[in-house]
Amino acid sequence: MEKKDFKKINNYLWEIPKSFRADMQVPARAYVTEKMLEESFKDRSLEQLVNVAALPGILKYSMAMPDMHEGYGFPIGGVAAMDMKEGVISPGGVGYDINCGMRLLKSDYSEKDIKPYLDKLATEIQKEVPSGLGRGRQIKISLEQIDRILENGARYLVEKGYGEKEDIENCEAGGRLERAEAFAVSPRAKNRGRDQVGTLGSGNHFLEIQKVGEIFDEKVAEVFGLFKDQIVIMIHTGSRGLGHQIATDYIRIMMQAMAKYRIRLPDRELAACPINSPEGKKYFAAMACGANYAWANRQMIAHYVRKAWKNVLGEKASPLVTLYDVAHNIAKIEKHKVGDKEIEVCVHRKGATRAFPPGHPEIPEKYREVGQPVLIPGSMGTASYILVGTQEGQEAFFSTCHGSGRTMSRHQAVRTISGQEVVNNLREKGILVKCRAMRGIAEEAPLAYKNIEDVIEVVHQAGLSKKVAKLLPLAVIKGE
Amino acid sequence: MKKFEILEHKADLKIRAFGKTKQEVFLNMLLGMSESQRAETLKQEIKREIKINSPDLPSLLVDFLNEVLYLSQVNKEVYKKVKFKEFTDNEIKGELIGQKVKSFGEDIKAVTYHDLDIHQENNGSWRATVLFDV
Repeated sequence: MEKKDFKKINNYLWEIPKSFRADMQVPARAYVTEKMLEESFKDRSLEQLVNVAALPGILKYSMAMPDMHEGYGFPIGGVAAMDMKEGVISPGGVGYDINCGMRLLKSDYSEKDIKPYLDKLATEIQKEVPSGLGRGRQIKISLEQIDRILENGARYLVEKGYGEKEDIENCEAGGRLERAEAFAVSPRAKNRGRDQVGTLGSGNHFLEIQKVGEIFDEKVAEVFGLFKDQIVIMIHTGSRGLGHQIATDYIRIMMQAMAKYRIRLPDRELAACPINSPEGKKYFAAMACGANYAWANRQMIAHYVRKAWKNVLGEKASPLVTLYDVAHNIAKIEKHKVGDKEIEVCVHRKGATRAFPPGHPEIPEKYREVGQPVLIPGSMGTASYILVGTQEGQEAFFSTCHGSGRTMSRHQAVRTISGQEVVNNLREKGILVKCRAMRGIAEEAPLAYKNIEDVIEVVHQAGLSKKVAKLLPLAVIKGE
Repeated sequence: MKKFEILEHKADLKIRAFGKTKQEVFLNMLLGMSESQRAETLKQEIKREIKINSPDLPSLLVDFLNEVLYLSQVNKEVYKKVKFKEFTDNEIKGELIGQKVKSFGEDIKAVTYHDLDIHQENNGSWRATVLFDV
């Protein structure tokens, strides 16, 4: 594949026509600048994008967001919507970390109010929210409770007193995906999830105390309840071992069932079955359980962050209110306009964020006038962004980017820079780092990632979502 | 002969293992995975029976590693040895030998089929490559 195989649609969108490969059902589209496109040839993400265009029942385009990079089966940053009758569902189109995503908590405080307590707050949050790799939470919940979490998500935990009604109102799908059925999840997956509710995990997962550094759209920021220098807390994690086990289980099941449906695919990690087949339906039920577990995980983490917040600032401290919670790895059944008809489709978003436009019935009433909040984390120590969904996003099934995307391997990062150097560099910028292992810090060094500003600029200019505010980190917390 | 090596990969962990026989390449891949978990272990020795059936040899390797990973995560243990009692291209019966773990330095979350390879070299030795999601 070469640059000449692409047709330039505009400065931020390139297309590979359907004629490029015989098995393509639709064209493939990448939302990138010319420079990003050239960079993309360094890995196999574009080849993967073409593979996705070959999946049965795919509608309109196989799409990649500007933060795309090579994944398993699908590229990371991939979006594919499938026809509910003819289409397939693929665990590889969701990813191993089902509903890896973001939650943002906002306070009434400004930076100056919190500055004297920052170190104490970061230490306390780290103490309350374990990574789950070591001694963990030390609480193994029962399999009955796991089933309740799988079927009811964050909603179950809020009912149990681990949060506020607003937490689920301001959450994608209300913190509970429909069609979740616990029987579809293996005992193995459930077992892996028993001691991980409220744990952060490792890798690029993090907690950050941030401030609103810049506001781009005053009107939308006001509706979202944001102001300059405001203290907010960002949570980035997913469904942990349970989600990974669901993906592992169903890739195996689908690989073996595919022959029955005469589906042949160029990559085993693309394994897929018809959405309406018993295997497809069961995967959706299990995937929805994984998504619910992730929402419950972020709910429980929010609960422990609030506990730490009160421990340090006192019972009368300003509340931490959920601005929004969004998934980055998920398959959803949504209504979209295809041709001149509105139909139900199954949208795979793998390393991509839903971004519904103003007026959409699936977003909370208080945001409906302006559009859905979109939360995009930067790499460790760099800026994060709040965006808002737009009507123009319709062409991409209302999807946008999810982060900055790696450019350097973990190994190369460790060889290039030490964890201590990263911590020192961040300290010079006035950013605190609380971590357990220095190696993990080196692996996640900002120099190992694409520049978040470039990615955001593309989605903003392409109209997939619009910039609302830029968030700057004050303290980064990796789990204890 | 080198047992395994860690290969360059952008986001995840890629291991190539070597062996004079199929059994040995499975054992060395297990070793590559468990060393990469960078576990802080306790002394007590643990034994776990395993039994795996798969449609072909590459799937058998992935299923074997997934089984080990599952047991490791749920029981907080790490396994560096395996005694095979039965070993064909479709079936493994055997015993894992390992230790209890205080904490893991790396969270290996899944074994993938991405770029999966297991083959016999011209000189008769075996080689396998597996990508792990971390």
